[in-house]
Amino acid sequence: MVAAVVALKLRLLRNTMSRELWRVILFVLGALWALSMLPGLLGGARWLSGQELLVQRPAVVIVGTVLLLGWLVIPVLMFGADETVTPRKFATLGLDPRRLAPALVVAAMLSVPAVFAAFVNLANVVVWSGYGAPTTAIALLSAPAGFLTCVLAARVSTGLATRLLSSRRARKVAAALAVGALVLLVPFLLALGAAGLENVLAGLPELARVLAFTPFGAAWAAPSYAAEGSWVAAGGHLLLAWGWVGAGLLLWISQVDGLLVDPPSTVGASRRRADAFLESASGPPVLRATAAVARRSLRYWFGDPRYLSALASTLLLPLLIALLLTVVGAREVSGWVLLAPLVAGAVGWGRHNDTAFDGTAFWMHVSAGVPGVADRAGRALALAAWAVPLVLVLALGGVSLAGREELLGAAVGLALGLFGAGLGVAMVSSVLLPYPAPRAGESPFATETGSVGASLVAQLISTTVTGVLAIPVTILFWLAVTREEGFALATLLVGVLGGTATLVGGVVLGGRLLDARGAQLLSRLR
Amino acid sequence: MSTAEASTPGGGTRPSSPPALRLRGLVKRFGETLAVDSLDLDIPAGSMFGVVGPNGAGKTTTLSMATGLLAPDAGTVEVLGVDLWREPARAKPLLGVLPDGLRVFDRLTGAELISYAGLLRGMPQDVIAERRDDLLSALDLHGAARTLVADFSAGMSKKITLACALVHAPRLLVLDEPFEAVDPVSAGVIRRILGEFVEQGGTVVLSSHVMALVERMCDHVAVIGAGRVLAAGALDEVRAGIELEERFFDLLGAKGPEAGLSWLRPS
Repeated sequence: MVAAVVALKLRLLRNTMSRELWRVILFVLGALWALSMLPGLLGGARWLSGQELLVQRPAVVIVGTVLLLGWLVIPVLMFGADETVTPRKFATLGLDPRRLAPALVVAAMLSVPAVFAAFVNLANVVVWSGYGAPTTAIALLSAPAGFLTCVLAARVSTGLATRLLSSRRARKVAAALAVGALVLLVPFLLALGAAGLENVLAGLPELARVLAFTPFGAAWAAPSYAAEGSWVAAGGHLLLAWGWVGAGLLLWISQVDGLLVDPPSTVGASRRRADAFLESASGPPVLRATAAVARRSLRYWFGDPRYLSALASTLLLPLLIALLLTVVGAREVSGWVLLAPLVAGAVGWGRHNDTAFDGTAFWMHVSAGVPGVADRAGRALALAAWAVPLVLVLALGGVSLAGREELLGAAVGLALGLFGAGLGVAMVSSVLLPYPAPRAGESPFATETGSVGASLVAQLISTTVTGVLAIPVTILFWLAVTREEGFALATLLVGVLGGTATLVGGVVLGGRLLDARGAQLLSRLR
Repeated sequence: MSTAEASTPGGGTRPSSPPALRLRGLVKRFGETLAVDSLDLDIPAGSMFGVVGPNGAGKTTTLSMATGLLAPDAGTVEVLGVDLWREPARAKPLLGVLPDGLRVFDRLTGAELISYAGLLRGMPQDVIAERRDDLLSALDLHGAARTLVADFSAGMSKKITLACALVHAPRLLVLDEPFEAVDPVSAGVIRRILGEFVEQGGTVVLSSHVMALVERMCDHVAVIGAGRVLAAGALDEVRAGIELEERFFDLLGAKGPEAGLSWLRPS
């Protein structure tokens, strides 16, 4: 069974790679990245092996915890990035889950991240090798447990996500929770910042002692007890580490069992509402089409979990940057002032793959011969309708929190400038550089297999162009912050005018391109 | 294959008016595969035209190119004398399309989807409202008008998409597999609507796998195989005295199910 599943996975990988050059490039880049991390990893382990036990144990336990957290969370966020062999696909074969589940785990080890995780776990052996042969032996015995815990954690968390996200309502709730979790991160990090770095560090040894009993730290901490001579504790933690592996495997087998017998269905209860589309449209035909597209986009913003989760992932970075700047305390400007501009830029730029979210339903626009400008303008209006008020509120809140009310104009100017530039670029790039998005009704966290390369190119290009377009307003904003407040008014003017100009330019250019290449675009959507 | 029939595509009943659909030299290549191989076809105005062919013959690819949904590598498409790919703004209002295997905006209700299709074409509200209600009752979709399309069955999705194709009162309807997954009662309703449409001077092109259905409904037929028209014209010409299904096997050089699965015998 193991051999068959592994052979299947290798064959599938080879086939996708021979079809898409991007997969090969990405695989090579990933492998190179992992290789380039090895010297640093080894150096870190060497350095740590020369430290005191009081430093060593918390350090390795924290490394192990972060690694396992990554293996729990990232596969769910990248859901579908590696869907080569999932239990669901074996549902019709009538296999024994107790034989299939371990085979799937072995197949899951064949990936660059898994090999990297194996190396990180082996680094723990290097850390403890200085304490003599018995301690090294304990480390050698516990490292595989740590590695297996990671691989199993990824299987279990994706299995759980598949189950939880199987109904449409659940997907919507999950997407909303993701947005909510991001917002909740704010007070947590603030509290962490308020506690002060020293207090946090002082608590680490105790934290490590607790984590050592959990799957996060057991395998990592076991050798540390051997190093201090407490062999009972060392043996106990080693057994515990393998116990967690066993528990993970049992959990995984029961999940595979469930997925084989009762594959998640996508059927939900039906909902009803009255036709809300006709009232809004009036004026000449082009405006009617624009209004219809805008209303439809708005419906999707509030009715389709994929949009919410896309929003969550675009908001993640600006929120983190603003928080980091606030916590660390940049000298020139508090991070709060930057909150609105960062969010505005991310939200506008975030629609750089907007058309792909329509999927093949976009044929209705092509078939109806919707003027490209109407299509683009409708989408831009739907976003601006809720994003601009939000950005204005954030700008006001941000400058108040920072106590720099005189910068309100500058913050609004930079925010609207970035919003217009990002959205303008998005209006063009979503015609020229579409990449596969999760289909309507799929998990909002899904990325299509093989889309990583195309998405990187599209994101890189659209980010660069947005950045270049926003240079003038950014410079003015910087001057307003560092030199004198007079520049705030200039920032506001340039931001509003420039943002509007880039947005209108993007809508017109994107519309022309759409008129010329609507059918080509459609054939690239899924 | 019979070159004599392929060289006289269609079989224009009214030679004076331009054909409803005129395909010339259409080519589409997907990587190594030549899906449509310089295909010529005339579809006379006022006909109920059936397009048949085996899986992978290029039916959907051809119909997609004929309706502006897929850019051809070469060749021209004329809808009632208007070049579709050069003057889409003039040609597309004449066309109603029901594609196969493409999604619709399924977060809209049935009624909203029809309104959306009408608004995309810039139609006035009052006209849309009237036609939307007519279409919903004609296709027996009133119960589904307030339900999201995502919750529709496959057959209901087909019917609502057909309604979207009809709302702007096109002159040519191109329907890819319109009867797939549709129950017999709804199929009867759709056949009646299409029949009336043709009686009033409209033209219908439909593709199907079901020979008997094409034989019963259509007055013209084209057999497509390997990206080319193997035979086309009035139904009686094409069938040449035998059943359409037999003729179909003849044209494709295919045999009926002979090589059976001898071991597949539940005892």
